[in-house]
Amino acid sequence: MTDEELLDAFPGVRIDADNAAWHRGLLDHRLLVNRCDDCGRWHQPPRPLCPACWSRSITPTEVAGDGFVALVTALRQGAPQPGVDYADGGHALVAVELDEQPGLRLAGTVVGTPTAGIRVGDRVRALWRDIPGRLPRADFEIVAGADTAAGEGAGR
Amino acid sequence: MSARRNPARDQVAIVGLGRSPYARDRQGCTPGSLVSEACVNALRDAGLGAADIDGICGSMVSAQWVQAALGIPGVAWFANPQAVIGNQITAAVAAVSSGMADTVLVYHHAYRLPWASRSAAKDPMRKRATLGVADARSWWGTGHNDTGPNSLYGAPAYAAWAGRYLHDYGYTRETLGLVAINSRTNAARNPNAVYTEPLTMEAYLAGRMVRDPLSVYDMDIPIDGADAFVITTTERARDLPRPSVLIHAATLGHTDYGSEEQLRDLDHAGQMVVVDRLWAKSELTLADVDVLYPYEGFSNIALSWIENVGYCGRGEGGAFVADHWVEAEQRIMIHGRIPVNTHGGSLSEGGTQGAGHLYEACLQLRGDAGPRQVDGAAVALVTPGGYYFNSQGILLRSDT
Ligand SMILES: [Zn+2]
Repeated sequence: MTDEELLDAFPGVRIDADNAAWHRGLLDHRLLVNRCDDCGRWHQPPRPLCPACWSRSITPTEVAGDGFVALVTALRQGAPQPGVDYADGGHALVAVELDEQPGLRLAGTVVGTPTAGIRVGDRVRALWRDIPGRLPRADFEIVAGADTAAGEGAGR
Repeated sequence: MSARRNPARDQVAIVGLGRSPYARDRQGCTPGSLVSEACVNALRDAGLGAADIDGICGSMVSAQWVQAALGIPGVAWFANPQAVIGNQITAAVAAVSSGMADTVLVYHHAYRLPWASRSAAKDPMRKRATLGVADARSWWGTGHNDTGPNSLYGAPAYAAWAGRYLHDYGYTRETLGLVAINSRTNAARNPNAVYTEPLTMEAYLAGRMVRDPLSVYDMDIPIDGADAFVITTTERARDLPRPSVLIHAATLGHTDYGSEEQLRDLDHAGQMVVVDRLWAKSELTLADVDVLYPYEGFSNIALSWIENVGYCGRGEGGAFVADHWVEAEQRIMIHGRIPVNTHGGSLSEGGTQGAGHLYEACLQLRGDAGPRQVDGAAVALVTPGGYYFNSQGILLRSDT
């Protein structure tokens, strides 16, 4: 895919050389998070250097998309968007803390569970839905039966 | 903690206050009309004219616009830091104390945008208000590309952290409700407040949810209005007509993984940087504070500030507010003595991102707060901002 095609796939999004790999990954249903080749630390959103060691040797590296709910809110109103319903307890908006590194988080929604039933600490995994009219992105679903991570989240 | 140098301590003063009154139904106003009204009022309050100003520092309306609109003949220093008000205040203090400027005009406005207010949406003259104006993603550099319903950019993250706070410490929405009711009770004695009717806990709990756990009562009220401050040296202040408000210490604070969903947690937020720095720069202590102004543009933020400035431990803010709640007055009185957000705050006076808090603190220290004047108020602690980008602390004292 050319750079021009990438831009066309994300109209209105400020894509540049620093974050292009992340967006290319979304088109391929892969979560490509910047990882430092020197110290191994991950960071998000994409930066042109490793915030931990200042190395500029960074590789966008696939994460599994497994983690737990670190933050959750319910949006009861907002601009219309395909796949989003603000009624019936609101649209779930979460920050998922990835298993790869404490504090490494992605924002998104949780599908398949009523919003009121989503709790901090719930185990989740990424899933991919192509929704016409929506920009490509990962969603999350709760992993039934998994132990919750409450108490170990967010560095607490 | 060890003391930090603070050569500006008490050397810079606020000598003029001016306002464009807060309103939810104003027609025909613009950011420029609001700011210019506040600035003219502040200069008149200070007993100064256009030629007395040699520095300008505001938020979204450019210093150059204000200079031209007010006919200020010569300005030697200007700046337009992003909101919120501590950015303007700390810049102005630095300018005055360093000699870059002698007398600085500081201002901030709020303007109802069509998507933030139903009544504003009906006003055609607001439709292009942000034409050509960059949004905060470009200022803050968070890397957020997505402002939609699956992004935590901006306000939604505050709701998410509010939920996390309630979850971690076992509180319910009643805890947030005390912050909202306190603001509403105090607003009843403030003619500048847009919401003054009493708020009961029952009504609070029935409030329309916007972003759980925050309802309409937990979120600042969109208004049109502006505040302006004239700042100069304490030496010069003593020759001017109004009582001086001395800036004892002022600071900003931010952390590295500092924003929105990447914030490490509420124990590693900008507020911690602010508080450590503020007290290290101060000769005053928390025990000296007579009036407290924790920002509550989202109600949970005020609980964090009350904890972090030192009244109680982490996570104890909710219990502290309940313990210091005066049922007969329907408001917080810390140790029975220290009222909180005497003007009604962003939740009831109207949302100006902390400028209203600072304005009220100055009124109190000047003895100009009318029916809500706190007897003997001599030290005010103002903490604008939330957890990232804009955590700030300003410690003020009267010149006595
Ligand atoms: Zn590194």
